[in-house]
Amino acid sequence: MIKRLFDWLKQPLGLIAVGIAFLALFSLAAYGIFQSQQSPAQPIQFPHATHAARGLQCLYCHPGAARGPSAGIPAQAKCWACHQQIQKTLDSQLADTQFPLLKPLVAAVTSNTPLEWVPVAMVPDFVQFNHRAHVAAGQNCENCHGDMTKVTVAENPQVFNMGFCLNCHKKVAGENHELLVKLTDCGTCHY
Amino acid sequence: MSDKLSRRDFLKLAGVGAASTAVLTGCGPASRSVKREPYMQMPEYTYNGLSTYYATTCRECAAGCGLVVRTSQGRAIKTEGNANNPLNLGKTCARGQATLHGLYNPDRVTDPIKRTRGNASGDIVTWENATQIVADALKNNKPEEIAFLMGMAPDHLFDLVADLANSTGINAPVRFGALNMFESRATLSKAAENLFGEAGLPFFDVGGAQVVFSFGANFLETWLSPVSYTRGFAGLREGQTKKRGTFVQFESRMSSTAGKADEWMPLRPGTEALVALAIGRLASELRGGSMPRAFADVDPLEAASKSGIKLETLEHLAEMFANSTGALAIPGGTALGQSNGLAVAEAVLALNAIADNFGKPGGVFFSALAPNQTEYQRSASVKEMQEFVQQMADGKFKVLFVHGLNPIFELPASLDFKNALKNVEQVISFATFPDETALESDYVFPDHHGLESWGYQRVATGSAQPVLSGAQPVVSPFYNTRATADVLIAAAQLASGKFAEALPFQDEVEFLQSKISPLMSEADGFFSAADIDTFAAYFQQYGGWWKLSDGRAVPNSADVLNRSLSSAEAEFAGEGEFFFVPFVSPTLAEAGANKPWLQELPDPTTTVMWNTWVEINPVTAEELGLKDDDVVTITSEAGVLEVPVYRYPAIRPDTIAIPFGQGHTAYGRYATALDENGKIIKRGVNPTDLLGQHFNEAGDLAFAGMKVNIKKTGKKQLLSRLESIMGVYGVGLGEEK
Repeated sequence: MIKRLFDWLKQPLGLIAVGIAFLALFSLAAYGIFQSQQSPAQPIQFPHATHAARGLQCLYCHPGAARGPSAGIPAQAKCWACHQQIQKTLDSQLADTQFPLLKPLVAAVTSNTPLEWVPVAMVPDFVQFNHRAHVAAGQNCENCHGDMTKVTVAENPQVFNMGFCLNCHKKVAGENHELLVKLTDCGTCHY
Repeated sequence: MSDKLSRRDFLKLAGVGAASTAVLTGCGPASRSVKREPYMQMPEYTYNGLSTYYATTCRECAAGCGLVVRTSQGRAIKTEGNANNPLNLGKTCARGQATLHGLYNPDRVTDPIKRTRGNASGDIVTWENATQIVADALKNNKPEEIAFLMGMAPDHLFDLVADLANSTGINAPVRFGALNMFESRATLSKAAENLFGEAGLPFFDVGGAQVVFSFGANFLETWLSPVSYTRGFAGLREGQTKKRGTFVQFESRMSSTAGKADEWMPLRPGTEALVALAIGRLASELRGGSMPRAFADVDPLEAASKSGIKLETLEHLAEMFANSTGALAIPGGTALGQSNGLAVAEAVLALNAIADNFGKPGGVFFSALAPNQTEYQRSASVKEMQEFVQQMADGKFKVLFVHGLNPIFELPASLDFKNALKNVEQVISFATFPDETALESDYVFPDHHGLESWGYQRVATGSAQPVLSGAQPVVSPFYNTRATADVLIAAAQLASGKFAEALPFQDEVEFLQSKISPLMSEADGFFSAADIDTFAAYFQQYGGWWKLSDGRAVPNSADVLNRSLSSAEAEFAGEGEFFFVPFVSPTLAEAGANKPWLQELPDPTTTVMWNTWVEINPVTAEELGLKDDDVVTITSEAGVLEVPVYRYPAIRPDTIAIPFGQGHTAYGRYATALDENGKIIKRGVNPTDLLGQHFNEAGDLAFAGMKVNIKKTGKKQLLSRLESIMGVYGVGLGEEK
């Protein structure tokens, strides 16, 4: 039985069938992987540019960057601290017509449910990234995250892959060989 | 491989497949479909992805070990010991680790409840009503009609109620716990009083000793302060810096403490005093000089024949004890829970006089009193509890407040606490879990779980330094619970008059600060501060306050050997054939049965989980025609139990033993079981149901002084256990007897 199946698969029609099956499987896998790399939608199309233009420092909302591995996403209490004093946030008519972005915030605060933000800058689990070391070394946020005064929802200006990291690490180390060894050691990021 | 597809081609294809997968995912995150749920109100000191650690105190038993709890995003994740706390120096026991299973227990009491007694469901009341009910109970009853029954731990709540009682004339709070009964604490302190002229809880420096003789003290399991004593034991066994110490355990059943001993002496129950005095006599003879009066009257030959320990063995033990430079004898547990318990405690303590180890490293001390304590306060003995229950039954109390213990489960059934409750008009429980006593109360006003509460706890024993362990909430309360101290303070304000004057505080934290503020001016502290806010902050940060110096007192041993000591054997109650030894489950103890981690943790000696068993020697079992898992009826003068058999080679053939810890009829889904109709039934049995009301001279229950009968029922109940039974008793080899 199995031998007959193999014999049939070896003839031209069979080979075409195998090819189609392979392509179908491959496409399915590719689609699955593609899907896993798609982010869900943000709960608010957050206008970084507007906030940066008002003079807010990055670390005001993401203080974790200076203190630990994760920059953190601000709690809505932090948003509300300012927004509850802003007329257009409180005025529901204005919010409805001109400032729809504010509606989810007001809803979240009044119903006391958390806003489920979607992380933008991510590295795989096998990379141990720590913001604090980078901020302490004098790197500015925009060196990796781009100029936030120009974007609404944050986007990655580049892919955060190993090449990107190493390029910068090598540049920073320059001629300092001791530093170069430290900054390019596998165990610096993969441990 | 076929002709068409060579091995080489196959590997190429596989390589292409792997490479394309890698390229497609780009070595990126496994999935980008991620949502983050930030705090709604994030505390200032919290950072995403960083754990926050809080120092607090373990409330699982009364020892008062310090904990450091790791929290992440407002959830308690892991408990570890507080390395700063001199009592446990960074260690915990299994129960301390499992405290999270109390916090996250799905059966917690979530709201204040009013119920008809015995009815599992109840009506939710508001905290305003609850406070009013407590206030009315305080105000509308005569002071002598109000009673407080509290847990064993000498904590801040006990101080608060004691203060309230002192200035308003209500009955002083009574502290009790089942461990207190099984440890025979009253006997220990009474024996110390008789020998040294001063009551107090002795402290045994196991770590500094060379030879340790323990008479029934299961100090590696639950006895007094197990984490501290386990560390002491590690010191005893330390072989790198000093000679490895020797440990001999005297008891009729091999406990897991005895399992760690070099020699286990399975003496006949009731002969402990005789054996201790015989060893004392033989050791004194070896030492030379005149025979001390304490040991003069005992006949080692008689001791050997009555105890079942050979004379040569007694001589060998006496030699070991007399020739050691650091011998230590410890009385405790089952040895004291007999009719002659006080005599046993005195005889064993007197052995230490031969070694002359009082107040020396590796010897006997009085435990250091806690920083805000002036004299040793013992929790109630069962005799005192019997009087308390009698007062309840006589209708002397109109209102009873219960906090921190579950007397219906923890007291022997023969005391009939449950029936006595019927004569108390109003019973208010502050239970965190729906236990048997909460079920028989009119109101349950749930306290926070220990990890959600403020407080402090005096360390009664186990540390050389005087220690006050501090507690603080490590997470916000999950449910609509309220700190009992806050309820009482608010109720006292409502009741006004002398009650409000007794507790003039805004809340629990203010009360705590008033109690710890005198420590600011004390010298020799682990830390000090000039103002109370800073001091309280340090108190939270370090998990308490302790002195840097040794606070242990040296017992006055001048008169120990110059008195005659009784070598009388214990009397046993009941007509049964077997000595009955109830022992505390090392994993569950009195309140661990509702924590799945502890239920799933195999018993250290038998590996049984989730149930109760009776340990019977295989020789006896064979005589009775019993095999493992056969259910037997055990009858004492006080009660009857049905329990499956575990054949245990390390128990005397004339003795049987049952662990205490299971047998709950309430206390949540993990502590109980369901029958086939979905009705809640007992999980395992409670051996205290077999205990009659017989006491020793110090008022402790003679819990190990019963004789029982065994009868085969013909039923079987499979015990789940971790150990393999293949090959044991021929099981699985076709030769099973």
